[in-house]
Amino acid sequence: MPSIDYDTAADVTKRLEERLVESLTGETSVSRRTVLGGLGVAGSAAVGLGSSRASATSDHDDEDEHGNFGAVGEYEDLDFDPHEFLTAFNTGDSGQDNVPQQVYEEDGRTVREFEFTAVDTTIAIAPGVEFQAWAYNGQVPGPTIRAVEGDLIRVKFTNLGRHAHTIHPHLKNLNPRMDGIPQNGPGVLDTGESFTYEWIAQPAGTHFYHCHSLPLKEHIHRGLYGTIIVDPDPERVRENPREYVNYPGPITDDFREQLVEEAKSRNHEYAENDAVNEMVMVMNSFDTNFDGGNEVYAANTRAFGYGVGDTDGEGNWTAGETKRPIQIDKNQRQRVYLSNATEFDLINSFHTHSQFFDYYDHGTTLTPTNKTVDTIMQCQAQRGIIEIDYSDHEPGLYMFHAHQSEFAELGWMSFFEVV
Amino acid sequence: MADKTRDTTTDGGVTADEEITQPLGLPRWVSALLPIVLLVLVLGVFAFTSPLAGVQSGEPLPDVTITHTTLPSDETVVLHVTNNGPESVTISQVLVDEAYWDFRVEGAGGDQTLAPMESAQIVIPYHWNPGWDLGVTLVLSDGATFHNTIVAPSQSPGFSLGLLGTLAVIGLFVGVIPVALGMLWFPYIKTMSDRWLHAVLLFAAGVLGFLAFDAGFEAFELAERIPGAYEGNLLVVFGIFGALLLVQAISAWREGRVAAGDSRASSGLWIAYLVAIGIGLHNLAEGLAIGSSFALGRVSLGAFLVIGFMLHNVTEGPAVVAPVARGERPSLKHFAALGVIAGAPVILGGWIGSLAYSPTIGAFFLAIGVGAILQVDWEIARMVRDAGGRVASATNLLAFLFGLAIMYVTDLFVVL
Repeated sequence: MPSIDYDTAADVTKRLEERLVESLTGETSVSRRTVLGGLGVAGSAAVGLGSSRASATSDHDDEDEHGNFGAVGEYEDLDFDPHEFLTAFNTGDSGQDNVPQQVYEEDGRTVREFEFTAVDTTIAIAPGVEFQAWAYNGQVPGPTIRAVEGDLIRVKFTNLGRHAHTIHPHLKNLNPRMDGIPQNGPGVLDTGESFTYEWIAQPAGTHFYHCHSLPLKEHIHRGLYGTIIVDPDPERVRENPREYVNYPGPITDDFREQLVEEAKSRNHEYAENDAVNEMVMVMNSFDTNFDGGNEVYAANTRAFGYGVGDTDGEGNWTAGETKRPIQIDKNQRQRVYLSNATEFDLINSFHTHSQFFDYYDHGTTLTPTNKTVDTIMQCQAQRGIIEIDYSDHEPGLYMFHAHQSEFAELGWMSFFEVV
Repeated sequence: MADKTRDTTTDGGVTADEEITQPLGLPRWVSALLPIVLLVLVLGVFAFTSPLAGVQSGEPLPDVTITHTTLPSDETVVLHVTNNGPESVTISQVLVDEAYWDFRVEGAGGDQTLAPMESAQIVIPYHWNPGWDLGVTLVLSDGATFHNTIVAPSQSPGFSLGLLGTLAVIGLFVGVIPVALGMLWFPYIKTMSDRWLHAVLLFAAGVLGFLAFDAGFEAFELAERIPGAYEGNLLVVFGIFGALLLVQAISAWREGRVAAGDSRASSGLWIAYLVAIGIGLHNLAEGLAIGSSFALGRVSLGAFLVIGFMLHNVTEGPAVVAPVARGERPSLKHFAALGVIAGAPVILGGWIGSLAYSPTIGAFFLAIGVGAILQVDWEIARMVRDAGGRVASATNLLAFLFGLAIMYVTDLFVVL
């Protein structure tokens, strides 16, 4: 037994007490989430990810005692940028580098031609979490195709994946050979096979395309889906206004002009369209452990991709490198082409904070199908156009997310930063 | 009840006189056969008149087991199913990941109906993905379902000489070589005092005791996957007791020979062979585990695994040779035979496991190994006692504990 020095013992005890108090001020209770978060930090640190959360919280001791939810760390894989994807429209004239495309006339019809490939790849769905995906042109969601009503969309499709794939469009398609299902036309395309799909772009609206190989659940939820936007033709609207409204009353000249104006604002070939900030969002989800339920939800693949990088829970936040809000100009009209590719769940939804919007189901009408709502729901493959006006809001963060809390906390949680 | 005297029981009754004569003066064989004949008669009457036909308390439940799955190509899934229930079942549909899917039933006499205890293969043309779990569900004609998840599928190796060669090499490294190396301690063991030799024997008993538990748990775990009609757990119990009693009977027969003056039977060599057989059976099961991991595509043949197995098995060497440390040294032939009996079954088990794997076979082999090992422990204890040692001396107990401990520690290196 060494002799006890009471002074030293008291010192040590005091130091230990202080250390204990310090350690307890941060987290009053260690929840599973914080433990997992800690593991995530450790994991991301191990793979060389800087966690903005970790660095920010180490600066000040007054960490929010309730903890903050959200995925820890930033995205490392920069192959896909959900912020770029928002406004990446492939029209044949212009579009993404990974989508070879051209536009030309044929028999008096505008042809928009795209080259699509299906490949097996790996995508990042949450910081540090990878998912083995099947992807059109290597991206999930697939490239957004944009055409004008009456155009011919020609997709030269080659399957480079291990499995047989197709492209099935949600368009009014008059030729069963072009439906992209196993039972029609070329059927499923095995590895290395090609086929050229041709579809007339109709009706005007926002539409959906996906692989229709079996098993369907696997082929969709692995990432083979995307958006086809068909812009209304203002001249055709002028001639057939009734086709664009769900309204039995008289069509006055004013109303007709109003519809034509709306069509011009929707049509990317008109100057009126430039005044609108248009974004494409595909609500999707990922089952990482094969249990038939999703572990990750997102708009455009990346959990919290449009979230804030870091917040202290007291109104101060910083944008992260890869996780950052969508900046929007308050004076521009905001239009979201929204579709739902979520597998395993019956419905998904879109909810805006402090805000009401107009919703055009399937985007096939020029007058809203839901006026002044703040939440809409979509089943799989349902889609629509959301028009939002932030012109009278103060600048700052406005949240939007799925109003299934589970989905929101698993990644489908986003912000507009109104400036 | 050994004495023949009248025994007054507590209730004041007396035991009856023994009947020596057969009733009615019949020959003995008649009285032996009579109950059997009557039983057959009663069964016949029961079967033909069906006195219980009016008693109806619902149907017996269907019971189908998917014992295991094989993936012969990347576009085929084969489910091995057995009907355990008392009634025929018809497999009307198959779901793969909650989607109705094509399939055909092979080996059920050309239809989709399985008689009780009948087994069949369900062949599903499905383009599965390596590493992506697959849920398969059988839907019977009455709508009952039986589900099985194929975790992280990978292609089953078909029969190939290359695979057999690979498994032989692995078996050599994890079985034969370590046991042979362990046996090299023999000269040193020979020089030990009785006290320490007994400690080594008890160390060997500890090693074997650990292996018995190890294999026993493994066997009961595997038994979960044995079709219900085969009563997996009871099969394991039967295997353990069967092996234990069989080897013990051989041992008792040997003792009879010793008493009759057969000098060969009294040597430690006999026990050495018993130990080798016990360890051999255990290693057969170890081989089964390696082989079936191969068959299921679950083997990470890291050097780590092989090293772990070697460390684990090197301790089996002294266990084999310790019994012959006294008396004259057996010929080298015997050493070679002991080494082969103890180590080589790893190779055989590997082959069986990779080619004809079924949980039933696996669990039964493991159980036989457990029984054999338990008997060997019994034998070792007797050997020490016969040599004038005290089995439960402090040194011996600690040696036994050390045997358990070293197996536990080296077992941590073996992760299949």
